[in-house]
Amino acid sequence: MKKTLLGYLCFLLLFVACTQDADLAISEGGKSGSITRFTTHQGYMYVLNLNEVQTYSLSNPNKPLLVHTLTTDYGLETINIYDNTIFLGSTTALYILDISDPAQPVLLSKTDRSLAFFSGCDPVVVKGNYAYSTVKTIINICGNSSSMSAVIVFDIVDKTRPIELAFYELVAPNGLGYKNNYLFVCDEGSDYLEVFDISEPNKLVKTSLGIPIIDPIDLIIDGSKMFVATKTDFQIFDVSDMNNIRRIGKIER
Amino acid sequence: MFTKLHYFYIALALLFYSCEKAPLGFYNGMGKRPKYISFDELKSIKSLPPEDITASGTIFLKDNLFYILEWRKGIHVYDISDSLNTVNLVFLSIPAITDFTISGQYLYVDSWVDLVTIDIANLQQIKEVGRAENVLKPALYPLLYDGIFECVDASKGAVIDWEDAELTDAKCITSN
Repeated sequence: MKKTLLGYLCFLLLFVACTQDADLAISEGGKSGSITRFTTHQGYMYVLNLNEVQTYSLSNPNKPLLVHTLTTDYGLETINIYDNTIFLGSTTALYILDISDPAQPVLLSKTDRSLAFFSGCDPVVVKGNYAYSTVKTIINICGNSSSMSAVIVFDIVDKTRPIELAFYELVAPNGLGYKNNYLFVCDEGSDYLEVFDISEPNKLVKTSLGIPIIDPIDLIIDGSKMFVATKTDFQIFDVSDMNNIRRIGKIER
Repeated sequence: MFTKLHYFYIALALLFYSCEKAPLGFYNGMGKRPKYISFDELKSIKSLPPEDITASGTIFLKDNLFYILEWRKGIHVYDISDSLNTVNLVFLSIPAITDFTISGQYLYVDSWVDLVTIDIANLQQIKEVGRAENVLKPALYPLLYDGIFECVDASKGAVIDWEDAELTDAKCITSN
């Protein structure tokens, strides 16, 4: 992407702030990728409508019972949970919700960008006091759409006030995840799984460890294995040695 | 490609945002039309022989099984206990599905406006065990689209896609 001054100005206007996060949403007994509107946590399930966070009790697990609805603006897209906190990505804002009482999410903060075009706040993963999010912004101006995208790191020490620390421009990023001090980001636009060094958590240092993959969409890291889903398949990598990431499996068609 | 011109338009839009809006009333011309499946089809949830992935979505890993959503159609399930030889086990046919999660032996999915619980203890013979009706609110308009469209007629079934079509007397329009 061509880096122009004007581009950066627009970029900064767009990303006044936009966070959310989550460890790869750990559901009871399993884990999802970073992009989903459903997740479970301590006997409850959270489901996103376009403008609602629904809480279902799973005390009778075959009959989820709607116990709480939190209304938001329209455009909710992703939910992730980390440290008793829900992070929601929407087309216009990032929401952070406290679920100390899992039956009743409470809004902690909402970043707003009341600008007159679509902007995507895509999935986020959280590591300690930092949240890493990809943002795929689709701008629709009188029928002409364009996009501006990046991976962003936020300081979330104060969950009522996330602060954007840094960003790295990508083409069209989707899901992401981390292992130790490495952040993996699916960049569908460049057909690459990018790897960032986040040992200095407030910085995004792109490494040369990235892997070319056609249309990577989302990933799950489970111990020494990483599962990367693309539009039409998935691949398995051994990430036990970061200097020797090896593809160890691929589905056969 | 992103050009300086695009940036210029964006900057301009930030300053003076306003799109041309068609006058109120009926619209004619190219637009989007919903594609429906019947309510009977919607409720036909079952295990089928494995299929290839064509349009993936949400992924989930549990107990050496890798679940991958097939947009609006169902979920592929792979046994990944041997990375070198993953096995495509089964296709869970769940019409209109766009997302899911799993807890214990239960799979929770959206089924148009319903939230459905599916017992997957036996993957080769899944069965619907619960359906919370009318709790979900899927978009009744084409996403990331600006223009006219045929309004959704909820009595026709579940919307699974939007197709380009020549519309006459369309009554719905998106405008951002």
